Amino acid sequence: MSLISILLLSALGSVAAWRVGRHVSSGLKHVAALLPIALFACFIFHIEPVASGGVVTDTAAWVPSLGIDLAFRLDGFSLLFALLITGIGSLVTIYATSYFSEADARERARFVFLIHLFMTAMLGTVLSDNLIVMFVFWEATSLTSFMLIGFETAKTEARRAALQSLLITCGGGLALLGAILLIGMELGSFSLAAITARAPELVASPLLPAVIVLLLIGTFTKSAQFPFHFWLPKAMAAPTPASAYLHSATMVKLGVYLLARFDGIFAGVPAYGVILVTFGLLTMSIAAFNAIRATGYKAILAQSTVASLGILVMLIGLDGPVSSVAVIGFILSHALYKAALFFCAGTAIHATHITELRKLGGLAKHLPFTAAAAVLASLSMAGLPPFVGFIAKEYLFEAQLQSSWSAIAVIVAVLVNGVMVAVAGAVSLRPFFRGRGKIEHVHHGETPGLLIGPMLLAILGVVFGIAPHLIVDNLIAPAAGALRGSPVQVSFSLWHGLTPMLGLSAAVVILGIALMWKWNEFHRAIGQMRLVQKIDADRAYYRVVDRVLGTARATTRWLQNGDQRRYTLTVASSLLIVAGYALVTGGPLNLTWSGGEILPFPAIILILAIVGCVVAIRSTSLVTGLVGIGIVGYGSALLFLANGAPDLALTQFAVETLVLVVLMAVLVRLPTDAPKTRSPRESRIDAGIATIFGFLVFGGLATMTAQPFDTRLSDFYGATSYLEARGHNVVNVIIVDYRAFDTVGEVAVVAFATLAVWALLKRRRAGKGS
Amino acid sequence: MNLIYSAGFAAIMACGVYLLLSRHVMRIVYGVILISASVNLVLFLSGRIGPNPPPVIPSGETVLSAGAANPLPQALVLTAIVIGFSLVAFAVALALQTFRTIGTLDSRKLNQAEALGSPYEEGKSQ
Repeated sequence: MSLISILLLSALGSVAAWRVGRHVSSGLKHVAALLPIALFACFIFHIEPVASGGVVTDTAAWVPSLGIDLAFRLDGFSLLFALLITGIGSLVTIYATSYFSEADARERARFVFLIHLFMTAMLGTVLSDNLIVMFVFWEATSLTSFMLIGFETAKTEARRAALQSLLITCGGGLALLGAILLIGMELGSFSLAAITARAPELVASPLLPAVIVLLLIGTFTKSAQFPFHFWLPKAMAAPTPASAYLHSATMVKLGVYLLARFDGIFAGVPAYGVILVTFGLLTMSIAAFNAIRATGYKAILAQSTVASLGILVMLIGLDGPVSSVAVIGFILSHALYKAALFFCAGTAIHATHITELRKLGGLAKHLPFTAAAAVLASLSMAGLPPFVGFIAKEYLFEAQLQSSWSAIAVIVAVLVNGVMVAVAGAVSLRPFFRGRGKIEHVHHGETPGLLIGPMLLAILGVVFGIAPHLIVDNLIAPAAGALRGSPVQVSFSLWHGLTPMLGLSAAVVILGIALMWKWNEFHRAIGQMRLVQKIDADRAYYRVVDRVLGTARATTRWLQNGDQRRYTLTVASSLLIVAGYALVTGGPLNLTWSGGEILPFPAIILILAIVGCVVAIRSTSLVTGLVGIGIVGYGSALLFLANGAPDLALTQFAVETLVLVVLMAVLVRLPTDAPKTRSPRESRIDAGIATIFGFLVFGGLATMTAQPFDTRLSDFYGATSYLEARGHNVVNVIIVDYRAFDTVGEVAVVAFATLAVWALLKRRRAGKGS
Repeated sequence: MNLIYSAGFAAIMACGVYLLLSRHVMRIVYGVILISASVNLVLFLSGRIGPNPPPVIPSGETVLSAGAANPLPQALVLTAIVIGFSLVAFAVALALQTFRTIGTLDSRKLNQAEALGSPYEEGKSQ
């Protein structure tokens, strides 16, 4: 199947599975898992061609004028991600279906639908070659994970965590978009393959620092690197199946994915690697600290995920040929054991309704198979032989020792890995084996659907450890080769001889066991450290959010203050500024005399009209004011009459009379005195604004009338209205013939106004009756 | 003559703006009436005006004579007059209804919407 049809199948299939899943009986509820399994199978068939060095591409036009095509590309690295996404996606679907077995079928189908949408978005991200297309999918993962984290909408905690993750990842997404657009400006192409090929041009560009900073913000937010490391543990508010998916295979690794993709492009920029290693080490250390401090079962796992992401970012930043293999090996082993551990945690929490690790104990009696899977997975996490985690850790140390980095990096890595060993022990031994008898009975037992995921992943961790040749040539080598841009010789095996790495591994295990021994003491001691409590990125986040909301509230209070006069004043002043600017920049004012000598009749009428205006302004009686208004109205009718417009004059007379009648009819129902509603100061301000407004209108009108007049359109009407429309009155012809549709619209407006007035006044009568 | 017309129309406009800034609903309506009267005159003026014969083709002829008034702005203003009237009628009906239900035409007291509070404050959860 082509890549585009795979993505289409994924998108349409998730909708279909959702609609079907709402109605199936409980016996068929696992039918939704067929979709990710089918997709997984599709990618399995791609292993063979990709492993032999091929690259699958697929392109369809989208916005060709902007150089944006739906371009997809499958190489070893994206294939590894695609297999993880669909493979773990299948297990998550099965697990989630069983996890929600007692929930409403609609609720369950909705959750699985979101998981599938999420999977589609991630697939699109790792398959895209065009960066703009990738960005669209990237944002889609942020949106779907927002919905997954906030799935239990009734929980405040879930809503807050969902919003936090959305703000952080979408904010980072904006930065990423900036980086993509800058790259596109510089190279004229959004294709990742083309950018990789033309990397020297990008590296030589003056925009490079901006590109790198924006890219790092985008990827660090997604992959929860310092200083954005706090949202991921909060995202544990999601139902556990979603956490397993979010934190194992996938979304958080997208940042790592993109960093690794750009590592080859920025190979010539030493600062890139330095930044990655620095931030990776920082993130690892902070997360290891927080892992010991955490109390919730899922929270500890989440902190260890952040630590793992830090390790990955550090590995990408390292130079030396081994680092790419180490990255791939770590991604794979971490996905296997972390998803399995989340599944086990979910089963334990689901069974007991207890989330605190401290309160769990002796669950092995009730959940024996889950306990077994947890032990297997945590052994891989601890990096003990013969698990795949051991090989990954050996590579980690080898990459570090080979790189040009100092011993500090190695020491930090040993410490963090020691904490990981302790965490592995804490999350498998404590809840399942220690504290026997703490839990007397469980609400839910194990079901096959809850076991298949953790069991399969945990067993794969052993199988790949014992028989690494199963994955070396067809997965790890092509993926590492795609990262490095050249084929890589991989000797991925358990026994490398007595190497320095083995010594480091031994140190890690000893350190980890010591930590495990004294876990409670460390937990308490770190929890009470003042410094740790002070440095709280989460609190800083809320301070920023509160500040933003506070500013918004203040501006709202200022702008939306409930004073109608101030609203009008704002509008009038803005209009003044815009129109004044246009008048000033539009050329010099032209106050020359034109249009003939002064005619006494119109001049007198104008003076009368202005007197009417002043009456309307000055009088505190509405009736007197109405007289003034009437003078202006009849005055303008006379002006029409004096300037060759009898039709207008007639209409104006009629309408003015109607206005007076309507207004009088209303005024008899209102108090006719209108006391001053403005303070003297406000009146002065308003008079000033109105005066400036008047001068602006005067300047504009005088300049306009001094210009020569283009009569072509008017001449056209004058020349054709009798010959084509058989009408002598040209104004009439224009209205009923040339602009007939306009007139229909006008009639409609009058009709609607009549209806509205009628409805308004009728409501009153109806209200009176009841 | 153009300057006199310009000044006169601008003065009417300025008075309308002043009334529009009032806090009394009926005076605001008066402001709207003045502004729309002035706008009609401005539109009329923009086609150049003078003591010309109306734009009517005398019987027996087929083309409008050169000295006649400009018909196009007249057609536009004719539409505008009627629309302006609809607007005023609707505004006045609103004012009347407002007075009947709330008992005042002072816009400072017409703040029931603000009294409900900001919709953005409500969802705030700490």
